Formats: sequence, C-alpha cells, structure tokens
Amino acid sequence: MISSLTSAKVIICVGSGGVGKTTVASAIAFQAAEEGKKVLVLTVDPAKRLKTTMGLSDTEDMVQIKHPSLTGELWAAVIDNKKTFDDFVRRAAAKAGGNVDRILKNRLYIQLSTTLSGSQEFTAVEKLYSVYESQKFDLIVLDTPPAQHAIDFLVAPQKLSELFNDNIAKWFREPGTKGVGIFTRLVQTGTKQVMKALENLTGSEFIGELADFFRDVEKWQTRLEERTSAVHRLLVGEQSHFVLVTSFDEAKLHEAEQFSKEIRKGGYRLSAVIINRAYPSGLRMNVTPGLDLQFSAKSSTDLERAYMKTQNYYRDRDQIFEKFFIRMGREAQVLRLPELESDVSDLGGVEKMARELKA
Amino acid sequence: MTMEIIFVTGKGGVGKSAVAAALAMQKAQSGRKTLLVELGRESFYQNALNLSAVSYHGVTWPGFPQLEGRFTLALWSGPECLKEYALYLLKIESLYRLFFENPVTRTLIQVAPALPELSIMGKATSGPRRVGPALNYDTIVIDAFATGHFMALLRAPLGMAEAVRFGPMGEQSRSINKVLSNPELCKYVVVAFPEELPVVEGLELAQDIQQTVGIKPTLVMNRWQEISASVLQEHSDEEYLQRFQRHLQRLEQRQNELLALVKENFLPVMLPQIFEVDFSKVVTALTASLSEVKL
Repeated sequence: MISSLTSAKVIICVGSGGVGKTTVASAIAFQAAEEGKKVLVLTVDPAKRLKTTMGLSDTEDMVQIKHPSLTGELWAAVIDNKKTFDDFVRRAAAKAGGNVDRILKNRLYIQLSTTLSGSQEFTAVEKLYSVYESQKFDLIVLDTPPAQHAIDFLVAPQKLSELFNDNIAKWFREPGTKGVGIFTRLVQTGTKQVMKALENLTGSEFIGELADFFRDVEKWQTRLEERTSAVHRLLVGEQSHFVLVTSFDEAKLHEAEQFSKEIRKGGYRLSAVIINRAYPSGLRMNVTPGLDLQFSAKSSTDLERAYMKTQNYYRDRDQIFEKFFIRMGREAQVLRLPELESDVSDLGGVEKMARELKA
Repeated sequence: MTMEIIFVTGKGGVGKSAVAAALAMQKAQSGRKTLLVELGRESFYQNALNLSAVSYHGVTWPGFPQLEGRFTLALWSGPECLKEYALYLLKIESLYRLFFENPVTRTLIQVAPALPELSIMGKATSGPRRVGPALNYDTIVIDAFATGHFMALLRAPLGMAEAVRFGPMGEQSRSINKVLSNPELCKYVVVAFPEELPVVEGLELAQDIQQTVGIKPTLVMNRWQEISASVLQEHSDEEYLQRFQRHLQRLEQRQNELLALVKENFLPVMLPQIFEVDFSKVVTALTASLSEVKL
C-alpha cells in the first residue's frame, strides 16, 4: 500500500480524462485486498471501463473479484448514474409525500439527472456515502467520473446544490406559505422584463417546464441539502484521502499543482500524486551518462540509435518531472508508474500495476 | 471559399489538442483564414505555448509571421457563448444587463440542461446559419471535449429540439442540428493512438457520431511508431537493449493488431510519434505529416 494511504477508509481517485484513473483505482484496491482488507472499488463510468478492466459481466450490483493472491476481499461496482439519481429522488420525495412519477417524467428532470454537469459527480458521492454508511467495507476506492479537469469533481456537486440552496428556486415555485406564485412574484418584484427576455430566448414551454420542475424539486430539497453536507463531512474527514492521477505532460502537471492548491483550500487531504505511464517499462532511466558516449554515430546499430532516441526523449521529459517533484514533494507523496508492457485491460494488468505501486 | 467546421475529439490523453492545432496550422498554411477553438474555462494552449492569455475573441498563434494573421486561437466557454448570443438577440444593452445581472438567469445558466453546450454549438455554427455576430473564418477547427462530453455537446441541440418543440429555442436548436448534419459544412475527426482503450473507445465514439449526425468521422491514428525490421531483429548482447527490443516488438504487434481493427471500418490518417517535449515543436512536426493528407 502507498504509505500515505495506509490509514484511509475512503480513497478518492481524481484526475482529468484519459490518465488511467480507473486502472490506478483498481490497482490500489487490489493491493489493499492483497493485504487482507475487504475493499470495494466504485466507479461512475459511461464507457464501462472498470467492467472491462475487472472482467465484470454485470453492472447492476457489487460483484466479488476472485484472484489467488487476494487474502482479503475485492469487490467492484459500476454506478448506474440515472438509477442512483432516480433512487435518491424517489426516497427523498416519498419521505416528503410528493408525486414521484411527475418528477421522474418532467423533461427537465430527465435531462438534469443524466446530462447535467454535476449529476454524475453527485451520484458518485451519493453512492459512496451510502456504502460508507453501511460499514460493510474496510476501504472504499472511488474512481471519479471522467472530467475535463481534476477539480470538476469537487466543484460539480456544489454547483448542483446551489440550485437548491439558492433563493432562485423559490422564484419558480408555487405559492407555499406566503400564497405568492411565480408570475405574481415576478410582476410584484418588477422583473417582468427579465421573464419576458427569458421567454424570448427559450420559449414559453421551457419556462413552464422549469416552473414545474422547481415546484417538484422543493419536495426533496431539504434531503438533498442534508445529504450534501453529510457527504462533505465525509470527504473532509481524516478517513478520506484523495489521490490525484495524472499523465506526464507539462500542461497536466501544471494542472496537478493547481489542483493541489485548490484541494487544500477546500480542507481536503491530497495524499498522493500518481504520474501514470511516465516512461516505457523497458527503459533505463538512471544510466550513467558515460554509457551514452559508447554509442558514437558511426558504430551504433539501428537498435542502439532507436534506444538513444527514445531514452533522450524520456530524459528530456524527466527534467519536467524533477521540477514538479521539487515543488510538489512536500505536499503529497509523488509516484511515477512506468508504461506497462501490455495494456492494462484485464485483471492481470491490474495485478501488474499493483506490483508497480509497491515498488 | 466554402466555410468548414471541423470538430476534433477522441478519448482523453490521445493528443487531441496537438492534432487539432496541427490541422488548423495546415489549413492556415494552405491559405485559409483559420480559427482554432478550445472549449472550456481554462486554456490548454496557454500553458503549452506559454502565452500570456487566450481570449474569447482570439489571439494570433505565436511564432508564424508568414501566416499573416490567418491563424487565430480562441477559448470559448459555454456561459460566454450564451452571453454573446443573448446580447445579439436582446440587442438593447440595458435589457441585456438586467437579464444577465439577474440571479435567476445566473443560476439558470449554471444548471439549465445543456444550455451552455447548446450555446457553444450555436456559436460554432453561427456562420452558415447567419445568426449572431459574424465569424469571418474559412475554417474553424474545434478542439472539442473528450468522448462522453463531446457526445453531450453534439446531442445538446437534438435534445433541446425535442424538449422544447415550440418557440425560438426549439427553432434555433433545429437549425444548429441541420448544420451539424451537413457534410458540406461539418467534418468530424476522432483521434486515437495505438493502445486498446483509446482505439476501442474511439471506434465507438466514431459510430455514435455517425449515428447522431449521419457523417462518418475521419479516424486519426496518432503517435504511430514506424519501427524498422532491422531494429526488431538485430541481435544484441546487452540485456537492456534486449529488453528495449522486446518492448518494441510488443509495440509493433499491438500497433498492427489495432490498426487491423481500425481498418475494418476506417481508412485512418496516420500521424507519427513525435519525440519532442516542446509543444510547438510537436505541432510543427505533426503539421508536416498532415500536409500529405487531404482532410
């Protein structure tokens, strides 16, 4: 286990798309299960990458992954975004005695629950929280949804809850206790023009749906707020550790530094930065410089020249890493993983990556 | 000159931005007035090229005076696109202020389904639709989002047209969709590199795009390593060279397998692995490789 993560009960793997978050999350979980823990790796993944990687045939529920070297238990689950969101709404609305079907059929709700930025992140932490509450696992590793930027994961649920926290939602709601409806209110407060402009842009049908939506949403608003703050407490708690997975290029490393600042500002714990596929596994990165001199242009063979070209390239890249390491090394444990000999697209690959994490 | 809009997408980490930049550079070199657009809040190119800023209205791509301002780089965010469109539609500045400084609108923009995506697509297609402020470019290359986010972007006008059947927003959505489905105007490029997941996801994405807009995307196989037979077969006594050779042999085998898979449905454009760390050098080298290709 990565030393900075030994005490973790929740590990959240964040990072922008295409950096290998899913495989790293799986490898961390695999390693912990090898050490005897009961581990769940959890992912929201439209591309069903975890499914491929872990060789799962079923995405519905938790599935146990068997492997001879696991002394503990390794479980995996792919979060169904729409289902988790619907389940949450159903529970919340039922508690408040609302008409669940009408919410689930609202066209805006349908869009909101599946395509809206923030909904995947919301369902990810929602599922994480409910599994954590069940206390069935020693460790839960969350592979966060693919995002453009690592920070999106933390920003998105906030954005979503603003919709409900903000007084805005009240604008669109039915009378409530004060007996003032949306259009009355708008006229009263003198923003008729705004509504008119909005209608010009979107059409009156859209505004109607919007009003319906907010009216229904009120029923699960409190529950959502409660949940959001409980999840926040979990994520900033000392049992939760963030791991940033990044690929090796200057822009991505720059983003990693920004992210580390942001995450600390938010009170979260960034424990490790994993630079994935930093160099091909066969390449010697620490050769003595003198060795290179043995290859003179004339005497060297095609293979030697190919090796030199590749090595020079990765060495140039390594200077970028050195700079990064000096700046980041104090903040979090920094690890470099080589590009593995074969694609990590099955359990064998995950096992190999787990070995690299140990090394 | 006919206008063209080229969307570049692919799985994250495949080198979309470098390929999009090379493509735009090539278009500019061929005499077309070209705009390279990146989407989102933050600029990737700004860091990669050490620029002081990349703005909504665009800056000149650095280091190529011979292009005489034909190569512009811009950063579009959803809210900015929406704002511009709303200002164009509302016309009156004070009404626009009232509109945008209103908390109702601010929240709406943040959360309303697909509104930012719709605005981006609206702006991208504003030339052929003759709606909104003029975009005077012959070619617009959009360094678009990766797989899932790109499909959300592409489907936004379609989804909105279905959700809002009447009114201006529905109409706009339908007209955007028409442009996105017009092969004379729009081209789609899916970038992959020779590894299993990028290729498999890229092929699925290409299929999704074709099903959504009816246009078959061009598939780009990026970071292809041409390995000579002598390098693969040569005997060496050095253990590390043997290991390196095995690495190349595996790479060669994987490359060929994945290329065969791609070739079942596509004639891919091949781009070489560039052994350069500096981003602008990578773009220059890729542009040279692209010059033999017609896209």
